[in-house]
Amino acid sequence: MAYLDWKDELNTGIRVIDGQHRRIVDYINQLHDIAQGNGGTGTVEVLTALVDYTLSHFAFEESLLEEAGYPQHASHVRTHDAFRNRIFDFRERARQGENVAEPLLELLKDWLFEHIAHEDARYVPLVSAQMGRLEQRDQGGWMRSQLKRWFP
Amino acid sequence: MPEIQWTNDLDTGIPVIDKQHRRLVEYINQLDHARTHHSRDEVNSVLDQLVDYTLSHFAFEESLMEDAGYPFLNAHKRVHALFVKRIADYQQRFKVGEDIGAELQVSLTTWLLNHIKNDDDDYADDVKRALGGATEETGGWVARSIKKFFG
Repeated sequence: MAYLDWKDELNTGIRVIDGQHRRIVDYINQLHDIAQGNGGTGTVEVLTALVDYTLSHFAFEESLLEEAGYPQHASHVRTHDAFRNRIFDFRERARQGENVAEPLLELLKDWLFEHIAHEDARYVPLVSAQMGRLEQRDQGGWMRSQLKRWFP
Repeated sequence: MPEIQWTNDLDTGIPVIDKQHRRLVEYINQLDHARTHHSRDEVNSVLDQLVDYTLSHFAFEESLMEDAGYPFLNAHKRVHALFVKRIADYQQRFKVGEDIGAELQVSLTTWLLNHIKNDDDDYADDVKRALGGATEETGGWVARSIKKFFG
């Protein structure tokens, strides 16, 4: 069993976002395996990858929220900013040679699922509708396939 | 970091895009080679080419997504912009003499592979539908766009 198991109720239904969330979970598990396995060698590499990936994911999501006119956009970004600062701090400490695995994993484990289940879940109806409208405007087929998917 | 081996899960199924992605992987592998052979000049030159090619590739890809009406175009573009900034920073640090080799390699490799497998995969169906089977050889539009973005 992995350190962190993905739960289906965390799916937003926005495929590209779910893929990004799952990738972050993979990195957290990788970080945990390293911490367990050999006392933390390679932590900096995985942490770098995790930080890079998280930043990309946040950029993607923030752009989406902005485009959809999500009213809580600014506060969502602030939540991301606070998290960004915390992981930057961990990365810096790891670079200095400190073994940060345990507190870092705790932060990641608590923060990610909590954030997805509560804060991300709130933007889903609006963003899904907005993206649906865009796709429908361009192709017409998207809504049909979604309807079929949700109301078979 | 070991050389990147191309695996099938990196294929988007859009030949013109896959070809460009493979080229990006080649540049990253070349960079690794230059770095492990301690050739600063070569690293410098490969890095310049990589940045240049990446910009053309992103512009080409964004134009395909736009034409296909891919709804996450702007979010995808934002991720591209962040990546461009990231490599420009590395390039800058390298040019002032910092030793960024290993970190750059990890960063480029993980970013590209993750991005192709998830974010690019997400637009693939829309773009395939829009291209309707047109390729570099058969589709005038594809060939024209390549010329426009890659010169």
